[in-house]
Amino acid sequence: MRTNLKRFLQKDFNSWWMISIIGAAVILLPILFIFFSLFQEPNENWFQIREYLLKTYVANTVILVLLTGIFTAILGVSLAWLVAAYDFPLKRFFRWGLLLPLAIPPYIAAYTYKTMFSYTGVIQTTLRNQFNYQIDPEILSISSLRGAIFIFTFFLFPYVYIMTKAFLESQSSSFFENARLLGRKPISIFVKVVLPLSRPAIVAGAVLVIYEVLSDYGVTSYFGIHTISTAIFQTWFGMYDIDSAMRLAAWLMVIILGMFILERLLRQRRRYHLNNKSRPLVPMKLKGFKAAAAFAYCSIVFLIGFLIPLIQLIAWAKLTFSKVWDETFITLFFQTIFVAAIATVLILFLSVVVANVCRRHTTGSYILAKLTTTGYSIPGAIIAIGVLAMFITLDKWLAPLYSYIGLGDAPLILSLSLVMLIVGYVIRFMATGFNAVEVGYEKIGTKFSEASRLLGFGMTKTFFKVDLPLIKGALVSGFILTFVEICKELPLALLLRPFNFDTLATKTHQYAKDELIHEASISSLMIIGISILSVVVFQMIDKKVQR
Amino acid sequence: MKVVEIQNLTFSYSRSASPTIDDFSFSMNTGEIVGVLGQSGSGKSTLLRLISGLEMPKKGSITIAGKPVVNDRLFVQPEDRGVGMVFQDYALFPHMTVKENILFGLSRMAKKDRKPRVKEMLELVQMEDFGDRYPHELSGGQQQRVALARALAPKPKVLLMDEPFSNLDADLKESIREDLLLILKKANMTCMIVTHDRNDVEAICNYSITMCPLIAEQGAAGEKFQTL
Repeated sequence: MRTNLKRFLQKDFNSWWMISIIGAAVILLPILFIFFSLFQEPNENWFQIREYLLKTYVANTVILVLLTGIFTAILGVSLAWLVAAYDFPLKRFFRWGLLLPLAIPPYIAAYTYKTMFSYTGVIQTTLRNQFNYQIDPEILSISSLRGAIFIFTFFLFPYVYIMTKAFLESQSSSFFENARLLGRKPISIFVKVVLPLSRPAIVAGAVLVIYEVLSDYGVTSYFGIHTISTAIFQTWFGMYDIDSAMRLAAWLMVIILGMFILERLLRQRRRYHLNNKSRPLVPMKLKGFKAAAAFAYCSIVFLIGFLIPLIQLIAWAKLTFSKVWDETFITLFFQTIFVAAIATVLILFLSVVVANVCRRHTTGSYILAKLTTTGYSIPGAIIAIGVLAMFITLDKWLAPLYSYIGLGDAPLILSLSLVMLIVGYVIRFMATGFNAVEVGYEKIGTKFSEASRLLGFGMTKTFFKVDLPLIKGALVSGFILTFVEICKELPLALLLRPFNFDTLATKTHQYAKDELIHEASISSLMIIGISILSVVVFQMIDKKVQR
Repeated sequence: MKVVEIQNLTFSYSRSASPTIDDFSFSMNTGEIVGVLGQSGSGKSTLLRLISGLEMPKKGSITIAGKPVVNDRLFVQPEDRGVGMVFQDYALFPHMTVKENILFGLSRMAKKDRKPRVKEMLELVQMEDFGDRYPHELSGGQQQRVALARALAPKPKVLLMDEPFSNLDADLKESIREDLLLILKKANMTCMIVTHDRNDVEAICNYSITMCPLIAEQGAAGEKFQTL
């Protein structure tokens, strides 16, 4: 046993493994802090929360997750099938245009649509002034569970759309041609063949949507819906009760863990699907009414999910530009870029190291990869609480050192610094960077680095001389995707930012909270502009895959 | 002198799976060219990966040029074993020219000796005019020559070749076999060639060993054997 361990250490244990293990530990620690809170004695607040509020929080969260999951699946799959299997006017544009709703974070969509539907908004004003028609404001009110589901559905469906489309386009046409030869009509083929076949892709996309919904704070808090995530904020900021907030976070973690296991179980089935690429799906040309219907369906979704809110925001920006735009906005922009860039560089560094270690498919590397990427499935509010608890403990441990270097007795240095927010970002978005880098490594395989090792280079030199030049492209896409996600992020930034530090997302939220929606438009447009970058990257990757 | 000595080598890809190589022993002398034959899944390529250090055996030992590289207590990293390898698909670095590919393995050689060595290697494989080309600008046969030059350049103690002819046309194969034999003899290289084609062995090798896949049901009763 001991000799085996010695050999293992000689073979695999090096600085790459050490950095990976330290990285995984830093990522896991805040999550462990939250789990440990379940075993501590609860305070009085907690009994009240449990008695009177928890049921509503859980019920609202479950309804939101379930209905959004179902509606995004319907929208995403139907659009993916239309685009993959048929040709109709502007289809080439819709292929990528239907990804654009991802560029508008749901919280910005929520502010925009709520104001558009309000008494002074464009819809009611037009109806009153142009058509002399007074509509019951209740009908148009979207500050409700119903409204939140509408927003999440139209701005998160691209997750299901992109995964299902990629899956369908990689399938052999023989399944669908066979179904037609066996006498099935298009709708029957969709229900009996397309849906069951794409189940793993639909589930994978829907799970991403669900993670986003569970993590949301912007939409639900703005619409006044009580979910577990908003409750964590209220207990923290409203009651200043971090213990109860941690306990709530732990409960949410339990739900997510259940989801995680469910997703794994469902994904296992993917292996049973055939992936015969011999003859890819050839799109069928639609004519007349059918072509018009397909075009109209895609157009309506594109209008609601992207163009209408974008035009509205541009109109508001024109109104408020001279009032809002000043030097502080430029500072805000650079602050956002600065913090996102630091976190992204750290994420990519760790991703490159961990993914390189994980290229040898051993049980140890599988566990390592899973541990470092858990953050993506954990809502920002939970990560924030875990990180805060970890940093307060760290400050307590470091108190003697602070005192020794003259910073006073028991000050909070790390827990009031930007480091906390950066660590939060790294934990939350590690998966985005890691997945991109992993794809890069998978594409080049192991043969080049093996050749390099046999030509006398160690793992580090091999990385710089051989791997790095070959995975450059993957690193660039990983950087852009992660960077954009961080720029858009709201809950973590709200909870972990130092005093007087704002990002574009927190500023937008602040304006919206103060009912200065028109003023929020410029920062919103800046976020959308940055986010469109990620859609462009998706599009480039898609083009490469097609080639 | 024995260049490679393998004793009681056992390897499996996972703990639960039956061993791909079970209690295998073998040795090679300087300058010998040995063919390794066998069906798919019989462990031919795995044997090369074990000798080169790309995999770690469960049991057994390997000694290269009198120096143990793996046993119960020891594991020497691939870069420190002095083994050259030509991969099945050559694994030429696509972002480097032919010269740079060959130069890559010479980092431990004195700087002044590197360029002459690259030139020498290009001459050996008759690729002097192709030094500045990138791998994708070469034919399959030319790529194979470059891979061979790259593997021979650092003067390895033993050269391992994994199905070196599998990507070549039948016509090309014959002429390349002859060239390869000539190059190996010129370099006085000890070499192990994995192939599934007996004609390769007859044309190049001094002798061959045949690896048989273990029949899972037979468990330990299954045996690898070698024919001289």
